[in-house]
Amino acid sequence: MRPLKLKLEAMGIKVLGWETRQVTGWGEAGTVLHPAVRWALHQEGDVIIDAGYGTAGAGTLHLLEGAGTASDLRVLAVINTARPATATVEDIIVHVRSLGRVDGLLNNTHLGEETTVDLIQAGARKVTAAARELNLPVVATAVMFELASFIGERDICGNPVRAIKRYMPMAFW
Amino acid sequence: MATRPVTGEQRAFMTGNEVVAWAALAAGADIMYGYPITPQNEIMHYWTRMAPKYERGFLQTEDEISAGFATVGGVLAGKRAFTATAGPGNVLMQEAMAMAEMMRLPTVVVVTQRGGPSTATVIYSQQELNLTCFGGNGEGLRIVYSPSSHDELFLYTIKAFNSAWKYRFPTFVLGDGYQSKMREPVTIFDPEARGITMEPCHPMVGLPGLPGEERDPAHLRNTYNLEDELYEVLMTAIKEYEAIAPQVVEWDTYAVDDAELLIIAHGVVSRAARAAVVSLRERGFKAGYFRPVTLKPFLAETLRPLAARARNLLVVESAYGQLKRQVQAGLYGLETPVTGYLRPGMGITPEEIVEFVHAKELI
Repeated sequence: MRPLKLKLEAMGIKVLGWETRQVTGWGEAGTVLHPAVRWALHQEGDVIIDAGYGTAGAGTLHLLEGAGTASDLRVLAVINTARPATATVEDIIVHVRSLGRVDGLLNNTHLGEETTVDLIQAGARKVTAAARELNLPVVATAVMFELASFIGERDICGNPVRAIKRYMPMAFW
Repeated sequence: MATRPVTGEQRAFMTGNEVVAWAALAAGADIMYGYPITPQNEIMHYWTRMAPKYERGFLQTEDEISAGFATVGGVLAGKRAFTATAGPGNVLMQEAMAMAEMMRLPTVVVVTQRGGPSTATVIYSQQELNLTCFGGNGEGLRIVYSPSSHDELFLYTIKAFNSAWKYRFPTFVLGDGYQSKMREPVTIFDPEARGITMEPCHPMVGLPGLPGEERDPAHLRNTYNLEDELYEVLMTAIKEYEAIAPQVVEWDTYAVDDAELLIIAHGVVSRAARAAVVSLRERGFKAGYFRPVTLKPFLAETLRPLAARARNLLVVESAYGQLKRQVQAGLYGLETPVTGYLRPGMGITPEEIVEFVHAKELI
């Protein structure tokens, strides 16, 4: 997020985290948790926390003050069925059960620039089947902006569609 | 019995480190010996997460020296073994890889280049070419693949195991931190689905039968008493290495037939180089692109006729001349000028390359 912080702030989104220039000289990875991130759950308004990367992703939630007790906190497991580890209904169920607290699933099935409507819908079916087994709601299916009109307001399983504009490719370097 | 990790071919979306872990699984790797260092940690993380399901092993050692030697031990025991490292870890592994070179052991190491020298950055570079190709106190009898995409990372991780066990030279997959961390679509496949048969692995120690009576002694050595002995062993290995080179070398070219400027790059930088060539061609400039996929053996003889036809060569790399020196050494005697766009530890964009080409009037 660091490279995009200023861009998002210009759009009116407050980004809790370091700017790249602030961590220069901190050493190999500069990983000191920003105080605002640690107390994010005590912020006013909606707070979106992107927790994840690598195999320990969801475990980092424990770093937030109040993660275990915040009544408004909803933990969504974002599932991309184009990743082999979550490619089948059974794999999704095992994965979600390994995360600890999960309040809902979000279908984020995609192949980057190669994403197709069929792929997204196939992902919706798998995620919805897994959610049924897990007794969890499917909060939405995320669809890149360019394809959202081809799917409509709901995916093939009736889950709400959220059209997303991708900014992360700008953060490559 | 454990199921196969990949069946047929599947299109997937994941980071380069995940790709390596899946490729090693698909290749039937038995065990990974690992020690954490950024940016390769997720190779270990994904391997250890998936290994139990497919009955594979893992051992975290106390450091990279140990990881390298444990990999040597693993292959001696007949295991399709590998390790992964970067930067200072790559430096530490050189003693073990020199042993592998001396003893002709089929080790596989995935290197995810980070900034150097020393700890430098955890991020990215192409500064480990020298180390990976020539590290250790030997002659650099190694096979080094430099993939430029996740598809290639998957393919060449599988090939690395086969090249190592077929030719018995330590084999490396030279990736980098950008490829490790970025996500892109990739086709993962069961090698059999592409007609790739994995080379069988055989133990070199603990063999049945009485040595000298029922079989020849294994007589594994990394040390010799006299100069003559060492010379004989080395020259045999060198001759074998030179003989297999035509079978091992791989490269890629684009628009080289009439190229007046030949841009040479490897790994992820070659993407920018190719895009720069496309951009130049669209504007009527006769640029071409050459990418060595194998850095060792280096394919000087393949490059030479292409370089001879060009008016200028431009080597583009995220290092200060490590590829350029290879090119110049391999093309010694050729009069085509060689220029370098050298950016140690920095990513390189197509736009920068095009700007440099024009600024230096290379075309």
